[in-house]
Parts: sequence; structure tokens; C-alpha cells
Amino acid sequence: MNMYAYIFRRLLYVIPVLLGVCLVIFVLFNLVAPDPAFTLLGKHATQLQIAELHHELGMDRPYWVQYFDTVKTAFTFDFGYSWTSKQNIWEMIKAGAGPSLSITGPLFVIENIFAISLALLVAFYRGKLVDKIVLVLSIAGMSIPSLAVVLFGQWFFGYKLGIFEISGYERGFPQFVPYVILPIILYVFISFGGETRFYRTVILDEAYQDYVRTARSKGISELRVMFKHVLKNSMIPILTQIIIQIPTLILGLLFAESFFSIPGLGAMTINAINNSDFPVIKAMTILSAVGFILFGVVTDVLYTVVDPRMKLK
Amino acid sequence: MSAEIKPSKSLLHNALIKIVSEKLSLIALIIVFLYFLVAMLTAMGVLASNWGQEIGQSYAAPSFEAIKNYFGLDIFGRSVLLKTIKATETAVVIGVVVSMISIVIGTLLGMLAGYFGGFVDELIVWFYTTFASIPGVMLLVAIAFILGKGTTTVFLSLGLTSWLGLCRIVRAEVMKHKEREYIQAANAIGATHTRKLFNHILPNISHLLIINFTQTFDSAVKAEVVLSFLGLGVVGRPSWGTMIDDSKLELARGVWWQLAAATFAMFLIVLAFNILGDALRDALDPKLKGK
Amino acid sequence: MKMPNVLLIILSATFLVFAGCTKKQDSNERVLNLVSPAEIKGFDPIQADDLYSGREISKIYEGLLQYHWLKMPYELVPNLAAALPVISKDGITYTFKLRSGVKFQDDAAFAGGKGREVEANDFVYSIKRLADSRNQATGWWVLDGKLKGLNEWREKNSKLPATNYDEEVEGVKALDKYTLQFKLAKAFPQFLYALAMPFTYAVSKEVVAKYGKEFINHPIGTGPYILPIFDQGKKITYTKNPTFREKLYPSDASPEFKNLLSDAGKRLPLVEKIVVHVMKETQPAWLKLNKGEIDYYSVPKDNFATAIKNNKLSDELAKKGFILEIAPQLDVTYTAFNFENKLFHNKKLRQAMYLAYDEPKANELFYNNTAFPAQSIIAPGIAGVDKNYVNPFKGPKLTEAKKLLAEAGYPDGKGLPELKYDIPDSTVSRQMGEYFQKQMEQIGVKIKIISSPWPEFQAKVKKKAVEVYGLAWGADYPDAENFLQLFYGPNKSPGANGSNYDNPQFNKEFEAATQMQDSPERTARYEKLNKFLAEEVVALFGVHRQAYILEQGWLKNYHPTDLHHDAVQYLNIDTQKKAELLKNF
Repeated sequence: MNMYAYIFRRLLYVIPVLLGVCLVIFVLFNLVAPDPAFTLLGKHATQLQIAELHHELGMDRPYWVQYFDTVKTAFTFDFGYSWTSKQNIWEMIKAGAGPSLSITGPLFVIENIFAISLALLVAFYRGKLVDKIVLVLSIAGMSIPSLAVVLFGQWFFGYKLGIFEISGYERGFPQFVPYVILPIILYVFISFGGETRFYRTVILDEAYQDYVRTARSKGISELRVMFKHVLKNSMIPILTQIIIQIPTLILGLLFAESFFSIPGLGAMTINAINNSDFPVIKAMTILSAVGFILFGVVTDVLYTVVDPRMKLK
Repeated sequence: MSAEIKPSKSLLHNALIKIVSEKLSLIALIIVFLYFLVAMLTAMGVLASNWGQEIGQSYAAPSFEAIKNYFGLDIFGRSVLLKTIKATETAVVIGVVVSMISIVIGTLLGMLAGYFGGFVDELIVWFYTTFASIPGVMLLVAIAFILGKGTTTVFLSLGLTSWLGLCRIVRAEVMKHKEREYIQAANAIGATHTRKLFNHILPNISHLLIINFTQTFDSAVKAEVVLSFLGLGVVGRPSWGTMIDDSKLELARGVWWQLAAATFAMFLIVLAFNILGDALRDALDPKLKGK
Repeated sequence: MKMPNVLLIILSATFLVFAGCTKKQDSNERVLNLVSPAEIKGFDPIQADDLYSGREISKIYEGLLQYHWLKMPYELVPNLAAALPVISKDGITYTFKLRSGVKFQDDAAFAGGKGREVEANDFVYSIKRLADSRNQATGWWVLDGKLKGLNEWREKNSKLPATNYDEEVEGVKALDKYTLQFKLAKAFPQFLYALAMPFTYAVSKEVVAKYGKEFINHPIGTGPYILPIFDQGKKITYTKNPTFREKLYPSDASPEFKNLLSDAGKRLPLVEKIVVHVMKETQPAWLKLNKGEIDYYSVPKDNFATAIKNNKLSDELAKKGFILEIAPQLDVTYTAFNFENKLFHNKKLRQAMYLAYDEPKANELFYNNTAFPAQSIIAPGIAGVDKNYVNPFKGPKLTEAKKLLAEAGYPDGKGLPELKYDIPDSTVSRQMGEYFQKQMEQIGVKIKIISSPWPEFQAKVKKKAVEVYGLAWGADYPDAENFLQLFYGPNKSPGANGSNYDNPQFNKEFEAATQMQDSPERTARYEKLNKFLAEEVVALFGVHRQAYILEQGWLKNYHPTDLHHDAVQYLNIDTQKKAELLKNF
């Protein structure tokens, strides 16, 4: 079967890309990034200690060995230990994934349903007042800094009205539920704009296709055209967009987790960035890259399996 | 899909007529023009050159006693209005430079890959797949880390991370054009690769660059805010990003005007570019012709 | 797309929305709710470089000495030691008797899961562990070069395949089960302070051996609280250590703390449970405090104006029963020069820059006028500060500044290159940088601001790749030596002397003073050194900050402090009052 050959080839392609990602990471963090020694040794470091530390971290080994180490981590997920917290990074990731996903998971679902419905609505009424209002609201949502939304939301819903927890987290279901509602609500507001804009474009791209015009010229009602033809056929790019978002979910709410004191991967990543904790930054980069690559394969395969144009012909 | 390709000049011309004739997109065009004008005037020192001056109490609230006070004052008693205006320059410069960097890289690599195919294509596809696999934020931060702080860093880190989409589109488009008659014709008269690429194909895909410009411009303006939040933003001159970063603290004392001014300024130009982008796509993309 | 899946998703989403409600507080539970404004970097005492990790570690681990909870100025008292040490006449030998019957907390690492008694050998082990180069301890500096033979042991073992802890070191020995002897390389009375710092707390060999790299998450000490496992969360819950020895709340106090004696003689710790919320952002923590979910928190800089007027609480806060605690901090902020750059050897240039700087205005903008202007480097409240001394070069005196700048060879800044001013990348640092730039502009000194992430900023200082930069120093212990060493030549970068100031005369007098026992004569010498640095303007001295802490009406025995890492064991909750006050929230 042709398709299996394609899938196999596509899977094989993962290897050079992964090697490339490792190369980029290696160049950035092992070759050109600033020396971490001073951060690690605190405010009273000595020259001797710095040399000892370089040895301890393996920074005095040949570059090809260090590159090979980076590649190895992409396959084994053995990321070593964090420089600042001295924790095993894989354990840190396991501990942080739950809290992050407990927010980004539901958020992802709600936001996509919301954005797709809205996009369908405005695509149906394209050029009309509704379309313009949604456009303005979407851009407003995109422009208002997420920080302002978070600060206001915490003050208003958490403190003034007192209906949600201001911040905090508790592990396990359903204990975490009260803590994740506020961030989810606020982030639906923050991110619906971009999503709606994207889906609107996708749906309109489809709405202008020849076959749609043909359908319309046959006198099929606009509503029917919209759902029967346009939505069905734009489902592929929409699904692609949805699937490709999945690996980003593990990054959590990158910028807001520390505001909500959520012990997730977003806060961990930002913290690592602030502390030049390279092993953690490398781990998160590799992990999300692996996610992107694998989900990329999934979407590509999906495309070939169910390309609407193939079926139309 | 229509097979016929009109000469791009008339395509652009038509697009312009279409934009001007529609009220909404005309307004958007005027807004964008005004922002660029303001940016130019501040760059020349005609406008807001005295933004650094202390004109009153720290955090004085907005008042209507003078135009400078309309948006209140900041921590050092400087006019938020003047800062917002001066920051327009920063934003426009960032938007333009970043778009240029990304257009040059994206177009060049995309054309090479699409035109030559084979090993060159494989290499470039591998190159952008690699970059596309690394989450944008991480790449942004890593590059910013290495280049150190400053405006150049903002340009480069944003430019180097935003060429991927364009590269992919240009590659696909060039692959199609390569097979078209006009290139076959050029082949027949023995045109060089450079000539075919830049004199024949490039004009025919230029509409993609224009559409891409509107997108890259507003994502660059928004990305500057993210960089500022991470402390990697512009230093030494006002930018909407640093104004918003300042307001993180100010909100607690009820100082909302700096946030509001910067957000509104950003909102307006992002909105204008979105409307313009939509209009341009409608007008320029042959696929969408004849709605 | 399968419809049932979509339905399921929608259903669970709706459930999420409806399940939300906030939890009610139970005021009968004696629980302390505290905030840590920084991430906790694990529970290994030898790595407790930052204040916040030190505070968490001190809930579980203990050292030989501690600071008396109710005495100011800070006073060292025995903790795991039975008494203060016997010190030989030459100031070299320190002999400690240990308290008997102190037990490690129960853990599977010990025989039968029962914590064993602490012996002198445990301290010998803990000190060596701090010195072991394989551990890369951030606390090594407190003992570096201080104990006889310890540096040699460290160096020798770093070359061996594994560290040999059995090899005897002359500087730290167990004479018998309860007797511990230190031998110093040279007289250094500040050594005692090192024994009250988290770095030298007692850890047990068995626990370290059992957990290896994971030791950092399995704190087993002798202290008042236990934490079975540290899971990196943003919420750390401690419970009372059931095998904690009989330690009593102090019965004596300095005059200002006489009102904190109501629990005198009671067995510590006073509350059953402690919850520490790691909250890096001020706004959510401040809101939680205002909702009564946190027991104390420092007033954020930008909430100051609405919360406090004329050092009094606003009516709204007063009505909720809040108490405002104000206490000076043992710190100093300053703008440092890098003396490796010959430009800054020009004393008049430094003095001119200092004269141009408007400190009172900065105090108002950045500290709400709550800080004390710094005249020199040593923080007030420590012996060595002359209260009446005013630095003659403290600004703003623009005419004098301009005159001195001309004398320095740069009339109106002409001929002076643009100076690079390095700052860490926080919002406030950026604003401070802009302020400094504006101040220097007034006399024609041009400043270029360079902001970097904190680690990179630190690295630049350590590599001497800076010109001018701003920073703050918090005391490690209450002795002038800890401040003066910031300008001691041999401490140059990457040591603590990031200014790379090296003046043979100052170095010599500093060495002489630091080897003396506390005495009026030593204080006089410290004062002299402090004034010398002030008039040399080796840095542009900023302010000494004050802590403004808002405390719930139901919290007992609390006072803000820099060095009492182990404060929580003394704190108490008045549950009745809490129930009453919570009605107003």
C-alpha cells in the first residue's frame, strides 16, 4: 500500500528533524549561551570553584560529546538535574504536567468550540455588522495584555465578588477544580480572538471554492451550503489546527501560572528562563519539539487519508 | 482554481482601488498611514521629542488642563500621551524591520527550495521543519539570551522566528509557477536562474509578501509586549511593551492610564492591519477572486 | 469527528463551570498560612544560599546556635549546643558541649524507622559535607579558609575518585559523643555566626546515604516541623514533629518585645501545621491577605499609598484588625563602580556623581519614603555605624557636583565617555536605571542602560565586565565585617567584592579589625573604616530599607526580622480572635 509507505517515510523523517532540533539547542545553549557557573555558585564564588563546577557539569568535554549527549536526551528523556532546584528534571516534568493539563485541557476544548462556533457565525454573516463587531472584539481580546486581564480577574472575581479562588492549587480530581476555573475563564477571553480569526479565514477559504459556488448556483440555501459543504470540507484544516495545538498544551499557561501559583510546567519554564536554568529550558524545548514533530506526522497522515479534494474528484 | 495569472501590476492596482472604495478598509489604510506619519515625525524630532521631560507630579491622573495631561503622567511625572506617541515610532520600526527580515529570509529560502527542488529543497525543508518544531517562545528567548539586550536583539529574535510561514507558502507557490508557460518561455530564450527567479517569478508572488507583511507587522508589535514582560524588551526609549510592563505594578495603586493608552494605541493599529490584511487577501489572492 | 466525544467534552466542561465555589476557612484549626515570595530551591542546608530557602530549611533542620527570638540587637544563644562554647585565649579553639537526647526525626533511613540521637560526629560529617567539592555547596564561603586543614582536605579529596569522610580534619573533631571541637586557621570571632546559619545545620549520614540525589526532597532534621516529601509544589505543608525535644518559649526579652511574652515557658512549636504558599507575584498574595487567607505579608510597594497613610493603616484595613509592623532591615542598596576600570580611580568623578544624585526623591519614588538614607555601607543597628554621621558628598547638590566634575577633568561631562549602567531586568530595576540616567544627565554625565536577566547580570559582575551597576546587599550575619568585606581587595570578583576595590591601607586595617573580639575598640575601628569608605565614595550609597509588614490581628508573637530563619516555631494563632475578626472580612 502506498499510504503505509508514505507513513513509514514520514516517520523516518522524524530522525533528521530531531537531530536538527538538537543541533539548534546545542548551538544555542552549549556554544553561545553565557556561563552558568556564577548563578550556580551563589554570591561568594571563587575561581577554583568555577573550574570544579565546569568539570562537574561536563562543560570541559569535546563539543561532539556534548552534542551527542543532547541527542541522547531526546530519545531517553533523561534530562539530568535542574541547576537551580537540583531536582531530577523528568520528575519535575511529571509533577508539573498534571496541573498544567488540568487547565490547558479544558481551556483547549472550550476555547476551540467557542472559536469555531463564532467563526462559523461570522463566516455566515461575512461582511455584515456581526462580522465587524466580532472582528473588533477579537482584536480587542488580542490587544489587551493578558496580564491586565489576569490582574483584573483576580481582583474582581476572586476578591471583590469572592466567587473563585484567587490563586493556589491542590493536586487530584476534583480538588483542583475550584482553582482552575478562574484561569480558564480569563484565558478563554484572552485567546478566543486569535483562534476565531484563524478559523474564520479557514472557513472563508473554503467558502470561496469553485464547488461551493457551483452548489450555491444550484440554488441550495446558504445555511445548507455552509454546513453541508463548507464546514465539512474545512474540517480538515480545522482539525489540523486543533491537533497541532495539542503539544503546546504541556507548556501550560506560560505567563500566568505564577500569578495563579499553579505548580505547572509553564511556571517551571518561565522560572528556568529567569534563572538561566539551561537543562530545564533544554528539556522543555526538546519535549515540545518532539511533541510537535509527532503530532505533525499525525496531521500529515490525516491529510493523506482524508483529503476532501481527492474524494471530490 | 483559475489557471490564468494576471500581470501583478494590475492586480495590485485593482487591490488598491478595491481597498479605497470600501469604507472600512479605507479607514484602516488611513490609520496605518497616520501611524507611519507619526512615527516619521517623532523620528525626525518634530513630535514628542520632549517626552522625557518631567511636567508634573509622579502618577498625576489624567486631566484636561493641557493636551499633554490627557492620559495622565507616569512614575517620573512624564506625559503618558507623549510616551505613547514616541512609542509609536518604536512599534513601527520594530514592525517594519522584523517584517523585512522575515520577508527576505522567507522569500529567499522559499524561492530557492521551490525553484531548484531536489537536494536544495530537502535541505531547506529540513531547515524550516527543524525551526518550526521548536516552540516560538523558547526560540525567541534563547536568541534574545545570546544576543544580549537591546533593540537589535528584539529585531533579530523576532525576525529570525517569523519567516517560517512565508517560506512555506512561497515554496509551494514557486513550485507551481515553475511549470507555468511564462517560465517555459523564459527557458526557451535561455534566461538565467537569477533572472527567472527575480524578474519573472518574484513579481508574480509579490502579493503573498504583502499579505505576509500585514501579518508579521502586527505579530511583531504584539511580540514586543511579550519580550518586555520577560524583561527582554526595548530599553532607553518608550515602547508599548515597557509601558504595559510598568503598569503591572501601577495597577495596584489605581494607575490605569498608562496601560489604557498603550493598549489602545496597539489595539488600533493591530485592528487596522487586520482589516487591511483581510481586504488585501480578498483582493489579491487569485484563489479567492470572484466572491 | 465522533459526536459522543464532543458531547462528553461539553458535559465535562459544563461540570467544571458548575463545580466551582471557594472553600470556607476553618478558624478553629491552628494553622499558619505564610507566603514565600520565591521558589524554594530544595531542602539541602548546604545549598541554602537564599533567604527563602533558608527559612524553609530552618523549619526542619537546626544548628548549634540560634538567635534569641526576643532580643535586639541580635544575640546568639545555644540551640543544639548545651551552652555557648568555651573559647581558648588565642581565639583559635572552640569547644562545644552538645545537648543530650536530641533526636533526628523518624525516617526509614534509620534502624527501625526511629530517629537516633544526634552526636558530635554528625556535626563533623555535616561540616565536611559542606566542604566536599563534589557537592558544589553554595555555602562553602562561610568556612573557606576558616578551619584548620579543611581546605586541604577539600582539595585533596576533589582529586580522589570518591570523597573520604573518615579522614580526620584537625579543624573539626568529635572529642567524645557530646563534645565537639573546632580549631580555626586564625582568630575569627564571626565564626560563631556561621554556626547559626543553615549551611552548618546537622544532617544525618544515613539519610544522605539512603536518598542520594533525592536527599534534597527528603528533609530529615531535628527541628520542630516535619515534611515527609517536598514535591516542588506551590504549597508546602508542614506538620509538628512528634519527637521534638522539650524546647520552651523564651521568658526574657528586650524592652521592645516585652509584649510578646504571653506564651513564655510554653513548649514549642506553638501551632500544629504550617502551610507555605509560594507566590512570586505580589497582587494575588496581597488579595489573599486581605481575604484573611494569609497571616502576614509585606505591603507591596505599589499598594502602599492606599494601605498606609502617615505610618498608619487605612480605615478599611484597621477595621479588619490588621496590625502594621515596621522594622529596619539589615541591608544597603548601592551603585557600584568597577575599579578595574581606571576611569573610576578619579575620586572627584565619583564624588561629583554622588553629589548629583537626588536620594530623597528616589526614596519617595521607589520606597514610598520608608527607607533610611545610607551614608556609607554598614546597615544601622550593627556596631560600627555612627548615627550622627552624614556623608559630605550626599546629594543633591548640583552646583558642587558640577564644580567637582570640572575639577575631575570633565567640565560639564565633556571628555567623559558614555558610562554603561548595568541592571537586572525587573520592572523596578528598569525604572531605577532610568532615574539614575536622568540624575546624571543634569551634570552632563551620559549613561547607557543595559538590562540583563538576573543570572547574566550576576555573571557580568563576576567577570568584571561591567562599569557601573546597582545592587543591594543583605547581611548574612549581624557584624560590620559582612558589609566591609564588600570592598576588601582579596574578595575581588568572582568574590563578594564586585567593585574590585583594592586599597592596601583599607585591606590591612580591615584584617586587623576583623580578628578582634567584640569590644568598643573594634567598634571604633569599624566606624573609622566605614567613614573612610563613605568619603572615598567607593560606591554611591543608596538606602537602608525597612520592612513594612501587615499582620492579621489573630497572629501572636510575630515581629519582622532578617536573621531569625527559624521564626515560625514561636508564632501562635489566637483562634477565638480569628473567628471573631473573620466576620469583618
